[in-house]
Amino acid sequence: MKICRLSLFNLKKNKREAAAIVFLTLVTAFLMATFAVSMTQISSAFDRAFEETGSADFILLFEDDKYRDIYRDILEEEYQVSDVRESRVLVGMAASTISKEGESTANNIIFADESTERKIENFKKLNVLPDNEIEKLSHPIWLPQYFEITAGYAPGDTFTFVSGGRNYPFTIAGFYSTGLYNSSRHMLKCVITDDDMVLLSTVYEEYRLIAFDTEKQFSYEEYYEKCSARSNESVASIVILFDKDTEKWSETNFLYVFLYMSVFLSVVTLICALFLILHKISKDMEEQMVQIGVLEALGYTSRELSCSYICEYILTGGIGAVTGGIAAAVFSPVMDTLTRGMINRDVHTDVNILRIFIVVISIIALVTLFALSRAARVKKFPPVVAFRKGIKTHHFGKNILPLEKMRHSINVRLAFKGICSDLRSNIGTGICIIAAGVAVMFSVYLFDFFKSGYDGLLGVTGMEIPDISMTMMSGVNGENFCDEIRKFPEVEKVLLTHAMLNKVEIKGSNQNATVISYSDFSLTDNIHPKTGRFPAYDNEIMISAKREETENRHIGDNIILKGDVCEKSYLITGIVSAMNNDSMSVYMTEDGYRRIRPSDRPNTVEITLKNEEDRPAFTDKLTSLYGASAKDAAYAQSAQGSLEERIRAKADEKMAVLISQYGVTDVDYAIRIGDTVISGNSSHFMIKDISSMKVLAKSQMASIAAVTKTFSLWAVIFIAVVVAVILGIIAVSAVKRQRREFGIMKSMGYTSRELMLQLTLRILPVTVISACIAAVLSVRVQRIFWMAGFGVQIPESLPLIIGAAAALVLYCLTVTYISAGSIRKISVTELMTE
Amino acid sequence: MIPILRTEKLCKSFSNGATQQHVIKNLDLEIMEGDFTVIMGASGSGKSTLLYALSGMDKPTLGKVFFGDTEISDYTNDWLAVFRRKNCGFVFQNIYLLENQNVLDNVLTGAFVVQKNSPELIKRVKELLAKVGLTEEMQKKYPNQLSGGEAQRVGIVRAVINEPKILFADEPTGSLNSASGRDVLDIFTQVHENGQSIVMVTHDIKTALRGTRVIYLRDGKVVGEHRMAKYGGDDPKERREKLTVFLDEMGW
Repeated sequence: MKICRLSLFNLKKNKREAAAIVFLTLVTAFLMATFAVSMTQISSAFDRAFEETGSADFILLFEDDKYRDIYRDILEEEYQVSDVRESRVLVGMAASTISKEGESTANNIIFADESTERKIENFKKLNVLPDNEIEKLSHPIWLPQYFEITAGYAPGDTFTFVSGGRNYPFTIAGFYSTGLYNSSRHMLKCVITDDDMVLLSTVYEEYRLIAFDTEKQFSYEEYYEKCSARSNESVASIVILFDKDTEKWSETNFLYVFLYMSVFLSVVTLICALFLILHKISKDMEEQMVQIGVLEALGYTSRELSCSYICEYILTGGIGAVTGGIAAAVFSPVMDTLTRGMINRDVHTDVNILRIFIVVISIIALVTLFALSRAARVKKFPPVVAFRKGIKTHHFGKNILPLEKMRHSINVRLAFKGICSDLRSNIGTGICIIAAGVAVMFSVYLFDFFKSGYDGLLGVTGMEIPDISMTMMSGVNGENFCDEIRKFPEVEKVLLTHAMLNKVEIKGSNQNATVISYSDFSLTDNIHPKTGRFPAYDNEIMISAKREETENRHIGDNIILKGDVCEKSYLITGIVSAMNNDSMSVYMTEDGYRRIRPSDRPNTVEITLKNEEDRPAFTDKLTSLYGASAKDAAYAQSAQGSLEERIRAKADEKMAVLISQYGVTDVDYAIRIGDTVISGNSSHFMIKDISSMKVLAKSQMASIAAVTKTFSLWAVIFIAVVVAVILGIIAVSAVKRQRREFGIMKSMGYTSRELMLQLTLRILPVTVISACIAAVLSVRVQRIFWMAGFGVQIPESLPLIIGAAAALVLYCLTVTYISAGSIRKISVTELMTE
Repeated sequence: MIPILRTEKLCKSFSNGATQQHVIKNLDLEIMEGDFTVIMGASGSGKSTLLYALSGMDKPTLGKVFFGDTEISDYTNDWLAVFRRKNCGFVFQNIYLLENQNVLDNVLTGAFVVQKNSPELIKRVKELLAKVGLTEEMQKKYPNQLSGGEAQRVGIVRAVINEPKILFADEPTGSLNSASGRDVLDIFTQVHENGQSIVMVTHDIKTALRGTRVIYLRDGKVVGEHRMAKYGGDDPKERREKLTVFLDEMGW
């Protein structure tokens, strides 16, 4: 009881410090408990979704015309998959849609009819229109939960696809819970009627869907090898694969990164709390040395006095940790909502009290341990030693920084002398500043990167982001077409490349590569070798930074790519920080690509406009000049007008069907009506498809950018508060401790400002050194963050690093200076008459 | 003689909860340049309060304090600090040396707040310390290694190193034994002989004998004043008797 009274006395005397420890432990417990609870919630949300929907764990999408039954047979024969489900779906890569706000947007969409959906999973509908209303809809569509949770659509809303300048409006009949294909970063699966499937089959590519589950370890590389061996065709280039683990990783990875960042912040606050405890016990003991002696003389044992200090921190740390734990439990539904928005799935939490309890107990135990380690020092001060204030005030050592040798300012000199007298406290302060500095500087880098939305992310995609991507009809001379487009005044740049779906297998790797090829990489704007150089010859290649790290391949190594019929070796000349296609792309010249795919010709024209705003108008212009895309024309109704006009329109429609659905490259026709011959050809069908990579990128990255920007801003503010609390407490306790010294100096004529400056300058060296260390560490943390979260390395901005470090130093000094303002309250008269 | 310090209707009160304690009441006083003024009075008469008000260490509640022609009672604390460093030196009963600095640095901390570092200054500091009996070896010692008398001598050197226009001392021998006290008073006498104005608060008649003017305070008011010749310039016995008579009259 008497111990508690001593503790309570100390607490009452130092309310500010006690409040700081409560705050820091509260925040630590809150962040750690939230992390502990959320980690399992997120994972279980996915598992539950797969369980409830009965979704297949693996889905392979083969280009329909290249699909062979043997691919399915291999699964059944070699992998003993008993329940292979096969169906046809449509795939629109970067399919244009009109957002709810009327803006043009794009997503990778899979269209499936209801029977296909039921083959893949249960088709668990949620939030749907009444049946009688659905029956009245001419084009109903069921969308995955992403569109409800993240995009904000509601049943009954219009959902419009756009292709070749033509709108395909659907009415949202409802939403459904799905296992796979619920991610805007990969693909989204829309369920439509059989009639609409037929309708859209003229617009989007047809794929063969193979869905299956397997208990066995499934290796894509092995499967592709088996398929290629039995079909003599390269499979990797015709398949889009997806599975539960990939979806889970892709949807949760980003969230996990933020949770780990929260843990990092909590570690920072914990370090600060523990330092504050050590610091405070030391200073309390110094201050209360005589009191300790008196109490010991009165019969209190060292253990009892130690316990009084420990009790104080068990009390403050306990209040903070328990409150933080309770806050985490109360906050759980809010976290569910945030998680739901991030992973586009319903998250139902049963608050895991045990985990929260473990976190709270761990923090209290840690606080107790640290307090115990320092409070045990009471033993070193038996009454007589304590009366003499320990040995601290007895100086027998060397006079460090003698004033006799002072060169410039007395204030600077006295400040630096002060540093030497309180080295241990400075080391502690340094550790706190380093920890907080890493967090705050990293957050500053993030904020800077995302300050203008997703533009920063576009810069590290490692691919060109043109305003318009136009796939040409086969047979169209790409170079000539590009030359023609370059002449338009709206056009800034035109590049010729392959469609992004060109995948190749890499020997010794279980990660296929998307090939990005240009005849001359120096013409690209958004592909920058991090190290090395662009490939210049046909046997050269650049790989992504993630492939470099995960596969331990480096510049100068050889890499073997498997084409349709041959394998070729390439020399790695450069490393590109690339976020596209799971960050595993390879880059090679057109000639280099032809070594493994001799028959492939570049079929995609990438157009960058001088003014981005011109995109819709210029797309219309291209469509009117070079024909609507063949798919669009095939869908078009015959035009109104004269007989000849109607005949020509009908002929165009027929030709478009031949071209888009049967792979016909050239068509000539002649129709005689009476004496009149109406003739024509398919030369004006040059465009197979038009899309905008920029719009797709926006839909995939805008939310990431917004969330990260907000998070980083709050992190900066949060850490700034923590730093202010710590430095403020240190400064105030220094003033309290050195009240006599400052009073004496005031009597000599030192102004309060000079003394505040001295106190501030005392932390200058430790702040500068800590900021430098924090800068180096924060760069390292940043690299880990980007590689783990996005598979890229972003270039570090030296001015930003220096600026952030300088701002940190300035902030620490300002906080200390302001906190040292309590020096003003020291009354010389009171001190002298005490 | 020209007054170096002057007060007009000086009042100083302290509030203690609901009660106000008026320590100095409407005090008009002049301190002359070159004088060794001793302020005496019973405990609680306001001696130290007056000293701190005169020195700009504390602000009066009412009234004015003039240093020469400059009124110092209305300025900010920082302005007063700058004023003190330029014009005043202080010697305290509790000495108040900086514990973490050695003797030399204690004096230099006071010196460098006004003067720039120079070999001449260092030489002068060392000479002054030597003059009060603190050898080169002792100059390297820390306050906790000094006797009370030695520490007070350091305090005096620190107070006079910037050649202040006026030196304030608050019972400088109060915590010293008689031998050390005498040594310290000898230093004060020596400083005064060099033309230094001194204002000293004391309880001790031996200390008061060193002054040239004794002011007696009672309830915050000057109730008597006694003038003396410079110390050593008259008969010590007679000097003591006269002062004793004065103090008896004052109710000492």
